[in-house]
Amino acid sequence: MASMLELRTPGYNPYAVKYSPYYDSRLAVAAAANYGIIGNGRLFVVGLGPAGIQIERAFDTNDALYDLAWSEINENQVVVATGDGSLKLFDISAGDFPVMNFTEHKREAFSVCWNPVAKDSFLSSSWDGTVKIWSPSRPASLRTLPVGNCVYSAAFSPQNPAIVSCVSSDSHIRIFDLRTPVSAKYHLTTVIAAHAPPQPPPLPPQPQGQIPVMPPAAVLSTGQTYAGAVPAELLTHDWNKYRETVLAAAGVDRLIRCFDIRNPNGGPIAVLPGHDYAVRRLAWSPHASDVLASASYDMTVRVWSDGSMLAQPPPPPDAPQVIPVGTQLGVMNRHAEFATGVDWCLFGTGGWLASAGWDQRVLVWDAHTLLRG
Amino acid sequence: MGAADRIAQIGNQISGGVPKGKAAILEKRPDDIVVTAALRTAFTKGGKGAFKDTLASDLLAGALKGILERSKINPELVEDIVVGNVLAPGAMATEARAASLVAGFPISTAVHTLNRQCSSGLQACVDVANQIKAGMIEIGIGAGVESMTNNYGPGAVGEFSELLESHTEAANCKVPMGVLSEQMAKDRGITRAAQDAFAAASFQKAVKAQAAGLFKEEIHPIKVKYTDPKSGETKEVVVDKDDGIRDGVTVDSLGKIRPAFAKDGSIHAGNASQVSDGAAAVLLMKRSTAERLGQPILGKFVQASIVGVPPLLMGVGPWKAIPKVFELTGLTKEDVDIYEINEAFASQCLWCANELGLPKERINPKGGAIAFGHPLGCTGARQVSTLLYELRRTGGKIGLTSMCIGTGMGMAAIWVAE
Repeated sequence: MASMLELRTPGYNPYAVKYSPYYDSRLAVAAAANYGIIGNGRLFVVGLGPAGIQIERAFDTNDALYDLAWSEINENQVVVATGDGSLKLFDISAGDFPVMNFTEHKREAFSVCWNPVAKDSFLSSSWDGTVKIWSPSRPASLRTLPVGNCVYSAAFSPQNPAIVSCVSSDSHIRIFDLRTPVSAKYHLTTVIAAHAPPQPPPLPPQPQGQIPVMPPAAVLSTGQTYAGAVPAELLTHDWNKYRETVLAAAGVDRLIRCFDIRNPNGGPIAVLPGHDYAVRRLAWSPHASDVLASASYDMTVRVWSDGSMLAQPPPPPDAPQVIPVGTQLGVMNRHAEFATGVDWCLFGTGGWLASAGWDQRVLVWDAHTLLRG
Repeated sequence: MGAADRIAQIGNQISGGVPKGKAAILEKRPDDIVVTAALRTAFTKGGKGAFKDTLASDLLAGALKGILERSKINPELVEDIVVGNVLAPGAMATEARAASLVAGFPISTAVHTLNRQCSSGLQACVDVANQIKAGMIEIGIGAGVESMTNNYGPGAVGEFSELLESHTEAANCKVPMGVLSEQMAKDRGITRAAQDAFAAASFQKAVKAQAAGLFKEEIHPIKVKYTDPKSGETKEVVVDKDDGIRDGVTVDSLGKIRPAFAKDGSIHAGNASQVSDGAAAVLLMKRSTAERLGQPILGKFVQASIVGVPPLLMGVGPWKAIPKVFELTGLTKEDVDIYEINEAFASQCLWCANELGLPKERINPKGGAIAFGHPLGCTGARQVSTLLYELRRTGGKIGLTSMCIGTGMGMAAIWVAE
């Protein structure tokens, strides 16, 4: 892997790395001292140039940084999620202090995501069990979506500005549609139990005395029975950039699962087994509809195909539901500590990735080198 | 915010274990095991109280009927009822099934009974919770019942074989509770004055709670037949009040009672649990089920622990079971707002609380078994309603129930009020 760029973040353990949506040469890294357990945070703005990879700006915060999102309306602005629950909007062209500070979350803020379609809002998720939607110009949140348990990751749909998704420690994926009227359900429209096996459709009424025949349990394309799993914390999820109803989620139980939100009880539409420890970050490729990258506590970053580009033969009637097992295209094992962040570059030939880990390093590399090897 | 919480969180993510610590336990998850109804009958004195002419099966039927009335749940949906009982022959397996049918449950609702001595009622709730967790059932009832009037006495322990008698620790299992507790009090230096002070406080707390109507929510009144011992007249009475709670009990008044188990002893009728009749029941299901059915959520079951201790020191059970449940949940003693620790004897309850350094004002705030009784198999299920209603009233969150268990065991459980 010759073409790998490496940046050190001395004294700070990165939690997230994101490419600028404006420039292929600009990245931001959210990091925390002492592995985010206690101490300060630092936002690094990183440039790629003829001199290699360099830190262009750094912004300090009083508590750990766990995530960041680039503004979609101002190329110089980045919002970060901090350990004290606040969200801070930094401007690269301004001074060292945040231009806006949003303080509503009562506990650690874990994720932020800018609305990629409407561009006028961003959201945050927190350990306080809520997802909040904000305007960058207003200090108070526009809406609060209650979840009830630690929300590790929340996102806007890349296709529809009114659809919000999140995953949390209760092993469930929740989808909110902000167009629905405010009701007792706070716009919650879909709940997917990530650990659950496919639920069979309700049986037709049986004649008296006859024992209904249960449909066979789903199987993986490798032949194993897929009986689901015990609930486990979900730490990350991401929407597919091409198939608007597909998202992938993963977490403590190490298995990456892809779901189609139109069929919340249908079980995963693909599974990607391979990580040895919890999966901390997922990112679908902006260039190919079946390609996904993942970063894990097992110190690896992996690139996968979910197999959706392969033609599946239609299953014979009465056969068990088959859940495709995706293909691992490559493993990047150059991190020496937990890999916590990974992101795809939007530009170029479509293989550049940035990854970050607790080894205080950011690595920029071309996934094609993995695919060839 | 808390570095310890953050470390615990990362640790859980790596180990893949159940999330631990206060923050994780207070979270609401769809697969939480929640309590949507919890109640008990009044407790009345064994042999002379209002339930003296009522069999355990009828007390149980009354409590189960109460669960149906309060929760308004469709009885068809209840898949299993587990009943804790200690003294009745065969733990009244047959009568319990019959009682469920009388109470209004259909034949499709299964019933079983169990006997883990004084923790039977708690074990019943834990068994139901575990059946739900494992996916074996969706909705169940944990219950407990004891008629000490009918079943308490010398016949409660069977003959020991020569084999059992030949083994010291095994033979110790047969030593009567009072005798071994007396010895333990002496060995551990728990004075009569300290026991009496603890017992008097239990009475005073219970009197106050009863006067303030704090037992109203947990007690489900039931109608029974009662024969007046003086007139011989039998009439129907509605029993809605504990009759063991006595006003005016003080350290001085308790000081006059003669010791029951040894001449120079410290344990007597006033600082040990009362012999009583009563039943209790707890309706359990997943949070997702409760929300689907529109059942009101009183609280949730989090975790239980079970430990063994020397048979002669059975009273120290909570001292070992409570730290274990803290270890399993990642909680600390400061996180618990109310402790319901069964007062089998003032001596053992007091010793456990002191040894663990538990704050006195958080233990049995409405009094305990010394004041209103300990129908053995019922107590563990009784503590759930006592605890959850008091947590709700005082705005507390996390509660713990625990008890010592004859033959040398201890059990503890964590509950969260909502």
